[in-house]
Amino acid sequence: MSSRRSHSRHSSASRITEEEINELVSKLQMMLPDAPISRNSRVSARKVLQETCSYIRSLHQEVDDLSEKLSELLASTDTDSAEAAILRSLLMQ
Amino acid sequence: MEAESSTSNQQRKRKRSASESSEKPAQSTWRTDKEHRLYSSKLLEALRRVRSGSGSSSPRTDPPRSRAVREAADRALAISARGRTRWSRAILSSRSIKLKSNRIRVPCPARPKRTELERIQSAADQEKKKSVVLQSKAKVLGRLVPGCKKLSFPTLLEEASDYIKALEMQVKAMSALTEILSMIGGGTEGAPGMVQDAGAGTSTGTDSMPPPA
Repeated sequence: MSSRRSHSRHSSASRITEEEINELVSKLQMMLPDAPISRNSRVSARKVLQETCSYIRSLHQEVDDLSEKLSELLASTDTDSAEAAILRSLLMQ
Repeated sequence: MEAESSTSNQQRKRKRSASESSEKPAQSTWRTDKEHRLYSSKLLEALRRVRSGSGSSSPRTDPPRSRAVREAADRALAISARGRTRWSRAILSSRSIKLKSNRIRVPCPARPKRTELERIQSAADQEKKKSVVLQSKAKVLGRLVPGCKKLSFPTLLEEASDYIKALEMQVKAMSALTEILSMIGGGTEGAPGMVQDAGAGTSTGTDSMPPPA
């Protein structure tokens, strides 16, 4: 794959070769939560795209839940002490 | 001697590439602590604005507020991207003009009439079925990532991977913030040392806290 990869990079930008697609797909696959460690296993691009979509959806859902929790917390806490504590903890990180 | 000069050249090249990679949109930018702190401070600012904006009007927590929090968080995330990616620009341009039908034209590079996906389809007839399936999946993905409905396939994948990393950072920062706020809101009984200092300092001054809705 490595020898053909360099060849595809030299081709014109308008032609997307399957090698490039496979490379991007495998890179994307690495970022998914349960990525297989063995690089030899070729997961189909369709499956990777599907898992990517569901992962993004779950991340969106998490952000929505967190936003709701945060909005409730913001309503019930005093701003000044909260900010001081937050800044302090952020600096300590 | 020539060997020495060549190695020093290589070292210089390596240093240059290292500094370049820190400026380029490297894959690791979303994972650094600096980005985390940057995003957390922006998030804080945005949340403060949300709170001050709706604090007086609503007696109890209304659903739109969580929406405002989500939008503030997304905006802070997009700003942290510093305009490097399409999805961040799309978020910023669409939030300022709140339209339901989001027909804002994000500037894309001028492409010929046929999209990249169609070109893949016509070029490889044997794998026509495979590319059609990929095309539909890619379309779904393009709808999930903001501003990426009409991108070429590789660009879409790149934007998606960057978006995922940014979202992960957003989740981490927001959950940390939630934890901190819940510790403060729950009182200073079981709070760790750092929160107790802040609580003791300001509790004497401001006695009345707004009652929870």
